Amino acid sequence: MQVFMFHLMPWAYLPESYEGPAWVTCSNRHYDGVRGGALYNRYLDELVRAEALGFDGVCVNEHHANAYGTMPSPNLIASILARETRRVKIAVVGNALPLYNPPVRVAEEFAMIDCISGGRLIAGLVVGGGPEYYSNGVNPAEARGRFAEAVDLIMRCWTEPGPFVHMGRYYKLRYVNPWPTPIQTPHPPIWIPGAGSLETMEYVARRRWSYMGIPYFHKRVFKRNFDFFREACAKEGYEARPEQMGWLVPVYVAPTDEQARREFEPHLWHFAHKLLPGINISPPGYTSPRSALKTMSAFGDFMLNVTTWEQIEDGAYAIVGSPATVRQKLAELAGWLGVGNLLVLLQLATLPADLTQRNQELFAREVMPHLRGVAAGAVAHGAPAS
Amino acid sequence: MPETRTLDVGGKRIRVLSGGRGPDLLYLHSASADVAWLDLHERLAARFTVHLPAHPGFAESTGLEDVDEMLDLVLHYADLQDACGLRGSAVVGASFGGWIAAELAALYPERVGRLVLVDALGLWLDEHPVAEIFGTTPPELAQKMFYDQQHPIAALMHSFTTLSAVPEEIALPQMKVMEAVAKVGWNPYLHDPKLAARLRRVQAPTLVVWGRQDGITPLAYGERYRDLVPGARLLVLDRCGHLPPLEQPEELARAIGDFLA
Repeated sequence: MQVFMFHLMPWAYLPESYEGPAWVTCSNRHYDGVRGGALYNRYLDELVRAEALGFDGVCVNEHHANAYGTMPSPNLIASILARETRRVKIAVVGNALPLYNPPVRVAEEFAMIDCISGGRLIAGLVVGGGPEYYSNGVNPAEARGRFAEAVDLIMRCWTEPGPFVHMGRYYKLRYVNPWPTPIQTPHPPIWIPGAGSLETMEYVARRRWSYMGIPYFHKRVFKRNFDFFREACAKEGYEARPEQMGWLVPVYVAPTDEQARREFEPHLWHFAHKLLPGINISPPGYTSPRSALKTMSAFGDFMLNVTTWEQIEDGAYAIVGSPATVRQKLAELAGWLGVGNLLVLLQLATLPADLTQRNQELFAREVMPHLRGVAAGAVAHGAPAS
Repeated sequence: MPETRTLDVGGKRIRVLSGGRGPDLLYLHSASADVAWLDLHERLAARFTVHLPAHPGFAESTGLEDVDEMLDLVLHYADLQDACGLRGSAVVGASFGGWIAAELAALYPERVGRLVLVDALGLWLDEHPVAEIFGTTPPELAQKMFYDQQHPIAALMHSFTTLSAVPEEIALPQMKVMEAVAKVGWNPYLHDPKLAARLRRVQAPTLVVWGRQDGITPLAYGERYRDLVPGARLLVLDRCGHLPPLEQPEELARAIGDFLA
């Protein structure tokens, strides 16, 4: 099991009185550059600390025009991490390819990060969330087509000497010849995050890349998705490796179960009630009707619709408790899901610096060593973890 | 009752409803219920031979994968006119269909004998932005679309407070429709920046019909079309929102009939 610390870099100062979406139309008059600068530096410290604490890697991602995650350019953050760390893998999960024109830009920036970090980049490629299409003007009905073409183009950038010609449906480039190219050969590992879109899982299975399950769903949704992914790999004629799957989940550890809940619960609800609303907007043509219906059917299992702590615990929307509790739950669930990568959100919403640091330290010291022993790929086919 | 045919138009399979007697009338539907044969079409069919094709991606019509921009739809309708012998016929378009009709009349003036634009999309006024249709709940959309919130379709939309409350048999076709509109109308948003300057090319006698309470494309757009299309007249329908074909079919049919007669 490999363990990564994921950071969303959320806006921590949305007023409790704020009602409405945290995305697209949430006015940036709520943003403040001085406070924002302090947050960026604090969050960077938290990611850098993950290396000292022994994590295998750190993860950042891209979102625009929202209070949920203030990293419109995860590559800027990753490039800082490339210099401030020496050992950890740096997973950018990912760049929303259709938002870059031409997407050669992504091949260039990812190659820069890989070179500067000495070959530690994990390249996440993503269609981008629904809200991004409202904020960036790119046609969502072209999202899947642009994504597929951009992936092929980036792979050519990394595996085929330039210059070459690319005349695609969406991108027409007479000279493709990016300098630099990555250190890792044939190219950095590819992670594709997804929220259960069937096309995405089949696509990742076909390429033999890795699929990261997007969080805030009931554990049964993850289970269904990873099972589907394993089946998709089987249809491609191979058995999925645990490293091809990653489970992203909020985690909070405190000395006792009771203390953990008391300290964490207000921040979790701020996250669910203030920062998630609006994340689920689905623009036209963004997914196939087949996938859109599936997503809608899973919507009842989404954290936005969760109202009680019991639901949080039952659905494993977040893993909260003493080191012993968290250790046991994570080991059981990771084994049940059959994932080889655990991506933990140790800072969420308004969780302050001191509690985040203690959470990181307790997790690293009391929980993480025990997860290394979890047999990667020990897929339980029995009943779900209780 | 209309006759239903499936035509091959440039490789697209297009559903066409047709019925009535008299001169040909090509009806280009909106993104709402007038893709089906409604009271309006029945009334028009008393005086005209009405042809109601479904746009690519709507109802049973295919070929959306070949539509990336408005010009693709205009060329599609030029092909369809040739396939149906409708070159030079009267063209009536509502909302999204009105946008297509205006483009067709501007790019191919000789193909449109007379033109009726009903609450047509296609233009942009900074001071009256076209309402958001892609990111709203069905009740919010109904508020903007209808004058009469008790209209059966408005009432149906009000019953869907969240998108996940929409039953599959309605959600699936509606998702297809919104995708088809988004392909040409996501950006620039539901208009063609070149259209305003091209409307001077329209040769067809033109009637512009607008719902006074249109909350999607407010009346200012009707006035703009009247000002830009040479010789156009504007008729405003009271107690009517964005979709006169649904809310005022009798008045609309009479206005179209009198204008085309």
